[in-house]
Amino acid sequence: MNPQLQGIQNIAGTYIFDLRVSNRSLKLNKFFWSLIDSDARARFVADEETSMKNAQLKEEQKVLIRARDWLGLIQNGANFFALEKFARVVKMSNMQVYAIMRGESFEEFLATRQVPDAR
Amino acid sequence: MAKIIGGIGTSHVPTIGVAYDKGKQQDPAWKPLFDGYKPVAAWLAEKNADVLVFFYNDHCTSFFFDVYPTFALGVGAEFPIADEGAGLRDLPPIRGDVDLQAHIAESLINDEFDLAVFQEKPIDHGCASPLPLLWPHKPDWPGTVVPIAINVLQFPLPTARRCYRLGQAVRRAIESYPKDLRVVVVGTGGLSHQVHGERTGFNNTQWDMEFLDLLQHTPDKLTALRHVDYVRRGGAESVEQIMWLAMRGALGTGPVKRLHQNYYLATTTAMTVALFEEDEAAAALGDPSSMASDQPIFA
Repeated sequence: MNPQLQGIQNIAGTYIFDLRVSNRSLKLNKFFWSLIDSDARARFVADEETSMKNAQLKEEQKVLIRARDWLGLIQNGANFFALEKFARVVKMSNMQVYAIMRGESFEEFLATRQVPDAR
Repeated sequence: MAKIIGGIGTSHVPTIGVAYDKGKQQDPAWKPLFDGYKPVAAWLAEKNADVLVFFYNDHCTSFFFDVYPTFALGVGAEFPIADEGAGLRDLPPIRGDVDLQAHIAESLINDEFDLAVFQEKPIDHGCASPLPLLWPHKPDWPGTVVPIAINVLQFPLPTARRCYRLGQAVRRAIESYPKDLRVVVVGTGGLSHQVHGERTGFNNTQWDMEFLDLLQHTPDKLTALRHVDYVRRGGAESVEQIMWLAMRGALGTGPVKRLHQNYYLATTTAMTVALFEEDEAAAALGDPSSMASDQPIFA
């Protein structure tokens, strides 16, 4: 255990992205990262399955992507900053993704914020 | 000789860039944020800053985890602003001073700070979100940027203390550059926020205020904290505040004064900007309040 992270397992709802996770999920994050290229975005929109196959994703990862299961993807090793590239492609805002990860409707989530219009 | 004339801490929330591009400066939900940067922009203009050294992080945009540098310094006369998945922004490329960047790299590496160097890489919102709130960009940016990317995404991250020492080494690098340049150091990120997992939306204003206070007066208390302490107090992604410590390290070991601060927690990130200068008057008086404070750290 990295001594800088000692006790991290006691912070609920938090998934630390370390080298073990990164190595296990490298293809998944590489797939999301590839979407900063506009051609890759267009290919994904045109044919999701072929894009995922070419990225050599595991079936469990494809299931999570098809379901737009944002929390499940994080739990599977997605790094949020790679994942947010995917959110842009499927026209989800970060705020919408936040609400889903918290298990709330968008309206419920906004009601917890001080200035919900700042988006 | 080149000289550091001040330091800025600023959030780098991507939504700031989106709101800026959509012209929401007068929108009631955004006005408190944009107005909070005006005194900093005015100070930069008044001081004629030539260079901004940006301690920022790339968000898996120009760097991917196949090669992810702990510290990386950008060298180039121009850096494009990155397309992060939502298209290109209407901003001119960031300008760079290759001779200064090369000097800083040489100085840091000879000083045993063996960082990586990148060239021709786009710069993402880690730097580009706050930049147009600090400097005008029409017809072009008024000065050059030294981008220094820090890994705050993939653990193991550099320690808080290592970031502070990076700032100290950058100070030595700048002070050994022979041209008369006025340099401002910028630390980006934070303050409290978490944007992944069920704990998304976590904030802690009490800790944010304590962080700002410790940063100014007793940064050694912040450099002693572990990453897990930042995660617990400010939310997982607030660990990026270690980049503010690099800025603070570059301001030297004497007392500093805070000329301006704006704190706006609207949705998920405590959007903050703070402006610091070295306090030469307090230093001349031997002001003990600078590094000798004893205040407890909020746990």
